[in-house]
This record gives sequence, structure tokens and C-alpha cells, in this order.
Amino acid sequence: MKKINYFLAALLGLSFSFASAQTPKGSVLIKNATVLTVTKGTLQNTDVLVQDGIIKEVGSNLSAPSGVQTIDATGKYLMPGIIDAHSHVGLDVVNEATSPITAEVQMKDVVNPTEIGIYRALAGGVTISHAMHGSANVIGGQNATLKHRWGTKNPDDIIMADAPRTIKFALGENPTRVHGRGNGIQPRSRMGVEAVIRNGFNEAIQYKKAWADYNAAASQKGSTATAPEYDERLQTLVDILDGKIIIHCHSYRADEIYMLINVARDFNISKLVFQHTNEGFKVAPEIAQYTMGASVFADWWAYKFEVYYSTAFNAAILNANGAITSINSDSAELIRHLYHEAAKTQRYGGMTDDEALAMITINPARQLGISDKVGSIEEGKQGDLVIFDSHPLSTYTVPQMTFVDGVKYFDIKEDKNDQRLAVSPTEMVEDVYLRIETERCMQDTEHLFEMASNLFNQN
Amino acid sequence: MKRTLFKASVICMLLGGSIFSTQGFAQSDPTGKKRVTDTYAITNATVFTAPGKAGVKATVLIKDGIIMGVGSNLSIPTEARQIAGDSLFIYPGFIDGASNAGITKPKDPEKPENFVSSNPPDEIAGITPWRSAVDQFAMDSKVEDLRKSGFTLIQVVPDGGMIAGKSAVMILGNEASANLIKENTALAASFRGSRGMYPGTAAGVMAKFRDVYKNAELTKTNSDKFASTPGVKRPAINDTYAGMKDVVSKTTPVMFSASSELEIRRVLKLQKELGFNLILTDLENYEGVINEIKASGAKVLIKAEVPDDKAIKAQKEDASADVKAQYARVKEAYDKSIAQAGKLEAAGIPFAFTTAGVKTSDIGKSLKTMIDNGLSETAALAALTTNPAAMMGLSREAGTIEKGKMANLVLTTDTLFSEDSQIKHVIADGYIFDYETKAKKKASDAGNGTGGVKIAGNWDYTTESPAGRGAGVVAIKKEGNEFGGTITYDDPSGSGKATAPIKDVKLDGNSLSFAFEVNAQGMSIVVEISGTVEGNSMEGTMAVGQFGSFPFEATLSPSLTAKN
Repeated sequence: MKKINYFLAALLGLSFSFASAQTPKGSVLIKNATVLTVTKGTLQNTDVLVQDGIIKEVGSNLSAPSGVQTIDATGKYLMPGIIDAHSHVGLDVVNEATSPITAEVQMKDVVNPTEIGIYRALAGGVTISHAMHGSANVIGGQNATLKHRWGTKNPDDIIMADAPRTIKFALGENPTRVHGRGNGIQPRSRMGVEAVIRNGFNEAIQYKKAWADYNAAASQKGSTATAPEYDERLQTLVDILDGKIIIHCHSYRADEIYMLINVARDFNISKLVFQHTNEGFKVAPEIAQYTMGASVFADWWAYKFEVYYSTAFNAAILNANGAITSINSDSAELIRHLYHEAAKTQRYGGMTDDEALAMITINPARQLGISDKVGSIEEGKQGDLVIFDSHPLSTYTVPQMTFVDGVKYFDIKEDKNDQRLAVSPTEMVEDVYLRIETERCMQDTEHLFEMASNLFNQN
Repeated sequence: MKRTLFKASVICMLLGGSIFSTQGFAQSDPTGKKRVTDTYAITNATVFTAPGKAGVKATVLIKDGIIMGVGSNLSIPTEARQIAGDSLFIYPGFIDGASNAGITKPKDPEKPENFVSSNPPDEIAGITPWRSAVDQFAMDSKVEDLRKSGFTLIQVVPDGGMIAGKSAVMILGNEASANLIKENTALAASFRGSRGMYPGTAAGVMAKFRDVYKNAELTKTNSDKFASTPGVKRPAINDTYAGMKDVVSKTTPVMFSASSELEIRRVLKLQKELGFNLILTDLENYEGVINEIKASGAKVLIKAEVPDDKAIKAQKEDASADVKAQYARVKEAYDKSIAQAGKLEAAGIPFAFTTAGVKTSDIGKSLKTMIDNGLSETAALAALTTNPAAMMGLSREAGTIEKGKMANLVLTTDTLFSEDSQIKHVIADGYIFDYETKAKKKASDAGNGTGGVKIAGNWDYTTESPAGRGAGVVAIKKEGNEFGGTITYDDPSGSGKATAPIKDVKLDGNSLSFAFEVNAQGMSIVVEISGTVEGNSMEGTMAVGQFGSFPFEATLSPSLTAKN
């Protein structure tokens, strides 16, 4: 069947987009920028040449090969594309909240490349986001690492094919509320959460053995062995145990963070990143020693009971203890200004520029297992870059251009009013009025006061 | 299977004595429902035997539900009822690729006492591949509406969850016959999650679908081994496996519902991973994935519908530039949407239609819109006839007008896709169904001139507005050289009818207009009615102040026709 298809394709000269389809790769020379490499210091008046999607050369007085566009970035700042280690932008489904373990569920199945949030993230300099399953389940679905190649309608074009698999775990109030209180099943408490994880891994070990036994027996001559039941859920847990998947765990309290560290150690798991981690500062040395670090908010807390004990110094304390630390958004709004979020670690914790920038570039790259490809400006890495008009940690900075694989996907000068990729043929268009009140702070609101006083006078 | 059914139905008719007089089996028929003959000859009609074939003047002879001949020199048996087809156009009966007409969803099974929402039994979670649409189907008014629109064969799809069950092909002939043509034609699947249990979302459904499919494959392997090798443990045959067996054996395709481009891509992803035979159905937005669909080799059923143009009509002239720019994008999306079917044709993908979730009375209009926007009439007819027949494996029995095929025909008053064409008869399984046709809208009796149009008298009218259906009587009287009268209408204050005088009555040719005033809560609203009169009926619109225009229909009440 396939042969015939290929034959027909060749015959008719049709271009079919099979899985091997290439994503766009661009070439560009950015000249005279202040280059914030993050890993190799800051380079003044430096040129960066990207060829076919890869950073080819960082130096001075580079000249563009023929056909390669040159961008003059004199007086501007160039930094690596920002990476958000916790996002839900570009997903049609976030939570398959129906079972305490849904490891078989894949966010890659429900990526929506036309969601406008992706373009807005690009406008904030974000080139990669970690599109995560929600936190309803103890072991949630597998996440998707997205490269923001805006403009395509094919989800495969924005899924970062060379990123390792990651999976969502969640501790504490969310899974106990959904499953324990909501459905009357385990876990109803933090102890139950631990039991669900341990039972899941122990079952996975048995599952792996059942298949290993079957495969060994089936290869014998005259075997009467029959295949065991297939279970993608347990197979995924097996893959975690085999080190093929990085755990990203929603967590707040120090006790449960330490619990999961112990569970991971018992099962010989080292690929573990904590998300949110508001009490991470209490167990920072343990996080540093046994895990791939923590991805935290700059200053967001108190939205539920388990998130009251928090501090804006969290990132700095984790960092000072040697834990890989990143700042994330978990929000379609915050994702647009992660550079501001990173700058907060300078006010709360006195981080250096490189330390602060690392928290939104190379550190999240390490936590996603892609730091050999992205996260800093180094020769040989992928050409994900952002040009800012002033230092990206300045309050006044505005991103100017964003590149993914050397292709420009955002340019503030070419930003149209309507950047949507998909428009419904039955959409009723409503006029939207945006007014700027410049005269007096209460201008044009007098009628509200009249109405209020009328109401009072009525009876 | 089909042959047996045919034979069975013939035997049934013989036993029931439905074929009498000519066969000498005449018996009393207390119901009066049995037909006089099962032989029909539609004489001297314009016959379009297949898509792309020009119409030729011919007679079509049918008997026992089978086409006995098409041609100009047929000898017509004496028992044949003759239908003068001189002004009629005959097409092959339409075939609906996927329909939910006549389908009633089976009751949800009761949850067991030890029910756990994270691990529900398949039947409760919407995984019921063993179910058949045959058990859910009954002829009802929706089925009759489909037949009225020309459909003679329909593939009915069972109602249910992510794997609802097997579809079946039904013939829309006599209600009393056994009308099943083919069972287990496809496995109906969708991204519909189960409420409050696993799998609840499209992401969960995709994961669960893989799981169900792969386990069915494994059970099949184990079963084959059990059958061939002694000493092998017996396989666990459950209902789900029993229903999936022919799907993983590739004898039954999966008919997957996917309306948008993203959904289509998701289905194609599953197909690529698992390798099942695929029919894509319920396609609404697919312009951007036509190449991918073609590469997959999937069969295609598009919705027999175009998006409604309310949003386009609501676009205002005096909008701001920003709004106009957005209007343009909506218009562009709309224009692309109605041109999609033509693009499928251009890509060389033979497709058919699904009427599931489609308003039957709008199908003709929607097809005309597709044709006006790039779809050829030949491809449109193929999508209604030969393509679905091929998809269902019924090319030998249906889809064209040929000797030996099933007697499924559509008889129209004009060529199929022309503006004024109406369906006058539908023949399904050799049974003839007659439909009323309206006189052509072009005033053919205009020869009588204005003087021939009579408006005086009592008109019963109905209107449709967002507030609901309104009805009343317009009494028009001739007052000298002018017209006057009264109108009754539903009192806006909510009780009974109110009456008001009508004014500005104007008759120009057969265009009639008049107005009246309604007083509602101290506000006076002028209601203007205008329309065209054809004989005893009037069609037009009722404009209610700034609230908009609504359809208005009226008929001249014959018993009360005023004498001029």
C-alpha cells in the first residue's frame, strides 16, 4: 500500500508531507550587537552568523555569505531565545483529569499551532515552551516541548523533534482534591499520593518483566507463550524507570518535595525536575544533590493553602545552593515578559545578569534536556535568538525581533493588528473600543455617580 | 447477503399477496396499502444514467425493485404502471455516506456498584465496537425527509461514545420490508470523551484508542496461535475484542469523525501508527490538509453543509477600518470554506457526503453553493451516487441507472442542480414516493397580467421571528380603485389577537406590499410586508421597524374568498 503511495507520489510529482518533513531553517547575520551569550559572558560589538538554522560563528567583522540577510543591531542587545519550562500555551487539552495515573496520555496529540498565545510568546522573546499536562493527576500525561515556529497549521512543525520525552507529576492539593475528595478514590492525602507513585512503579516493574519473559519465551522454537496485555500507561512508567523520560513534578511543600526525592532514589530515578517548588528554599541542598533542579515563579503565591509559605528569594536561594533553577510562567500572560520575571531575582537575591538570564535560557534548557542544542549563544547551537532594544533585564526593554532556527518569526516593525492564523467563517465581529483616559482620572465617569445617587434617592 | 434479502423480500411479497392481479394471486387487502403493481415504466424522460453522462430521452422500466431496462425501444409489459416522464429528469438515487437519521441512542447501562470512574467498564466508557446501527435504526420522519431529498440508500452510524459500534447500509424503500442491505460496513469512532470518567478528553481518547486497538491485535495473534498450536493458553475473548477483530484484520474500516483540520491530522496520526483502513467523516474544515488526506489513502465523507452566512450578512457598511479588516478575514474564511469541495475534486479525491448533523432541507442549497464555488456538477453527482456506492462496496448494485441495478431513482422537474429544480418522485427499492412540487417561481401565468392577480380576500399568514411563530389573517378589500382592510396579529402584550387597519396597499404586477402599525408599550412600530403572489399563495418578508426582517407566508383562504 505504502509502496503504491510512494509510487503515485513520484509519478504525479506531488509533495507529500511525511513525518520526515523538514521544518524551516534560516540564515541571518546580526551585526554589532551587545551579545549576551549567557554561558560565555557578554561580548560588545559582536556579530552572530546563523546558517541553515545553526549558529555558525560568533565574532567581529563577519561578513554575510551571499544571499544571507544582514541585520544591523548597533546599540541593541542579542540574547538566546527565552525558554519557558512550564506553559500550557498551544494545547487544545490540558487535563485528562479522570485517573490518578494517565501516563499514556500525550500532549503531542493535542498541540494546536494556531493558538495566538504562541505569537504573543514570540513577541516576548520566548522561542521554546514546555507545553505541559495539567496537575490534576499524581502522574499526568506526557508533555510536549514546542519550538515557536509561528505560521504553520501542522502541529508536527512546532513540536521540537529532538527534545527528550518529559512527563508531568503532581503532588499535594490538586490530585488529592480531584481524586480523593472529588471521586472518593486514592489519593485523598499526601501519603496516598506517595502510595500511588510507588504502586505505579512497582506495577511497571512487573509489567516490564512480563513482557521480557514473553519475548524471551516467544523466540524459542515451538513456544506456546502468548503475549501479555498491552498497557501504554505502564509502559510509560517503565520508560521513566529506564531513564528515557524526565519527570517534571508540580509541587509546593518541602515535605512532599523531599518525599519524591526519596521515592526517586528508591527507584533509581535521577531525571527529576520540580515545578513551582515554592518551599524549595527549605530543601535546596537536597534538590541540588539529587535532581535536575527546580522551575519556580519569581513572586507568585498564596492562591491556595499549600502556597502560603513562599518567598521571592526562592530562586536565589535555590541557585546559591547549586540547584539548577529556572523561572517559568505557567500563564499565557506571564510568558510575554519572562525577562521581567528573571529581573526580579536581581531585586530579591542580587543575582548577576548572567545568573538571572540563565534562569530563562540555559537552566530551563538543562531541565528539558536540550541544553546541548539551545539556551545560550554558542557556535553549533540552534539559531534561537532575540534582539532587545535595551538590556533585557531593564524595566524599559522591548523585544524587537525573535528568531527560531535562524528564521524570523517576530519583528516589532512588521507586527500586524491581526496576527491570527485561523479565523472562523461564522465569526461575528464586534467593534472593540480601547480608550486612553489622558485628561483627568475620573473623566467621563460622572454619569456613574449620578446613577448611584439616583438609586439612593429613589426610596 | 443482499441477494438473500432481495429474494426474501420477493418471497414475502408473494406470500403476502402483494403482487396480485397480474400474477393471479389476487386477494382481499383489508389494509388497502398493498400496491397494485411493482412494475413501473417512466416513459420518455430525460435520463442521466451516471455522473458525467449527458441526459438522453429514454424510458426506464423497473420491476421487483430492479431496473429491467433503460432505452427508447423497451416493450412495456401490460402490468406496468406508466408514468409520463416527458417533463421529468431522472437521476440515480442518492446515497448518504453516513447518516444518523432513524438512529436512537441506546440507554446507558447502569453503573456497577463497584464503579470506579478512573477505570470504567468499556460499555460505560463509550467503547462498544460490538454494537450495530441495525439495532438502533427505525424508519422515522428524519429518514423520510432524507428520502424526500433524493436519498435512497443510507449508511447509518450508531450513536455512542469514542467507539460507538458498526454502521450498516439501509435502503429507504417500504417501511414494512426488511431494509438492511449490508451490516458491519465500518466501525464508528470519534474524539468524544466520556463524561466524568476515563477517557474524558480528546487526549485521553487517543491514548485509549491505541490501547484498545493494540490489545485487539495481540488477542488476534494469541487466538491464531491458540487455534494452530496445542498447549497454548486460551485467549481472553471479550465483547470489545469481538467487535474489533474484523477491524484489526483490515476487513472493516474505521469511520472516524473529524470536523477540523487539527482533528483530521489527529486521525491520520492514529492511522499511520496503527495501520487501519480509514474513512474520514464529518469533514467541515479541511482545505489545509487535502494533500495529507490524499497521501493517507483515506476515504472521505464531507458534511453536506456550508457554514451559515449570518456573520457575513451582519457585516455593516459603516464599520471602522479595524472592524472592516476583520470582516475581510471572516469573508475570506467563508469564501475558502465554500470552495473546499471543489478543491477536493481538483486534488482527485473521490468523496461522498455525510448528512449527520445536517439540516436535510438545506442540503440542496448547500450543494448549489459548493457548485457555484468550484465543484463541478459531475463531481457533485458522483459524490451523491457512484462514490458512496464504491465506498460501501455496492458499485455493482447501486450508483447508476443500469439494467440489473437496484431501482433507486430521483425524478426531478428540471436538471438536478438548476435553480428551480424540484424533486417530484423518489423511487427506492422499486417503491415510488410522490412529492408535491410548487409552481415555478417565475410567473408562468404572467400572461394574465396584473389584472389576473387576485388579492382581495382573507389571507391566512404565518411569520417566523426570533420571538417565535406568529400567525393571523389579513383581510384585503377593494375600496374603489384602491385596496384596504385589516390584519390580525398576536398581541405583543401577550394575550390573544389584536387587529389593526392595513395601509399603503400596493399591487405592482404580482408584487404586493402593505403596512400596519403596532402599539407596544407606548411605542408605535410600523410593520411593512412585501412579497410576491402566485395564485393563492404569497411569499415575502415582514420588516418590523429596526428589529429586522422575517419570512412571511400567506395563503388565500378559498372558502372565504371575497367576491372581488
